[in-house]
Amino acid sequence: MLNEKLPGTPMSSEEFEKAITIEDHPALEYAWDDGVAIGRYLKELKNGRIVARTCSGCDRIMIPPRMFCELCWRPTDEWHFVKDTGVVNTFAVTRVNWDASRRGPNEPPLMPAVIEIDGASKGMGILHLLGDVDPKKVKIGMKVKAVWKPEKERTGAITDIKYFKPY
Amino acid sequence: MAFTERLTRNVDMTAWHGKIPVHYRYTLGLAGEKFFTALKKDGKFLATRCDRCGITYAPPSVYCERCFDALDTWIELPPTGTLMSFTVVTEDSSGHALKEPQIIGAVQLDGADTVLIHRICPHCVDCLCPGARVKAVLLEKKKRAGGINDIVHFEILE
Repeated sequence: MLNEKLPGTPMSSEEFEKAITIEDHPALEYAWDDGVAIGRYLKELKNGRIVARTCSGCDRIMIPPRMFCELCWRPTDEWHFVKDTGVVNTFAVTRVNWDASRRGPNEPPLMPAVIEIDGASKGMGILHLLGDVDPKKVKIGMKVKAVWKPEKERTGAITDIKYFKPY
Repeated sequence: MAFTERLTRNVDMTAWHGKIPVHYRYTLGLAGEKFFTALKKDGKFLATRCDRCGITYAPPSVYCERCFDALDTWIELPPTGTLMSFTVVTEDSSGHALKEPQIIGAVQLDGADTVLIHRICPHCVDCLCPGARVKAVLLEKKKRAGGINDIVHFEILE
């Protein structure tokens, strides 16, 4: 409903197409300094390993690794390899893509999930995708294992793991 | 307490590179639509006027920036004006060197109280001075698409 004091100008799709518009595709490139911890984490993914960081103050094994413990307020201590298996902590079944576009009728739904990684402290995990599983059968607590890309295709990215599947 | 592990060689530094896809289309608004339609079709410069404040807006606005009153008094301005300020640009928006320097100027059309920003003819580089008289050079009518680039640039009148 139009506010008389602050009138807007509603437009239909047709009116929008008839109006003069400015169109642009700005090149938004960025380089994010991944630092010591995430830098090594990504390099180890290329090697097919998941690396965590330990803190002797709170006795946690933290994944993703970080150089500073946010609980103890001190530097973390050691690198520690963890397994590429884990359990589903939480998940969603979604039929929209990251940019809110709808997935096609023949595209399976995406299943983003937080996976608690085996070998890390309870509750510590990473956000990834589930695959090779019927969306109706996904359960919290389900045991899953990483499905890696072939070594030659890995680039040192979180997508070097294609998804996690039940095992 | 010092950090126990740190990078000591710059070749060890890594970064995550990415691109954010952005695509937009936006409308020019009521005033912009009317301004650029008149420019495209008739080669005319339209402006709005606030009689209460005595301000003429070019490019036009549908409201007065001073008293917030709605403006519906439209007038036509000549394609001539005064160069109020300028700068010579040697890099593009990504920081890459331009082949030719570009002059960007703030032009107050005759009868207007506001300025519009546009290119100044590169051949006029030696005549640049605040207060210089300028005239708009438009694209020929069939090439005009409705947009700020329907004005090629402003040239300085000797």
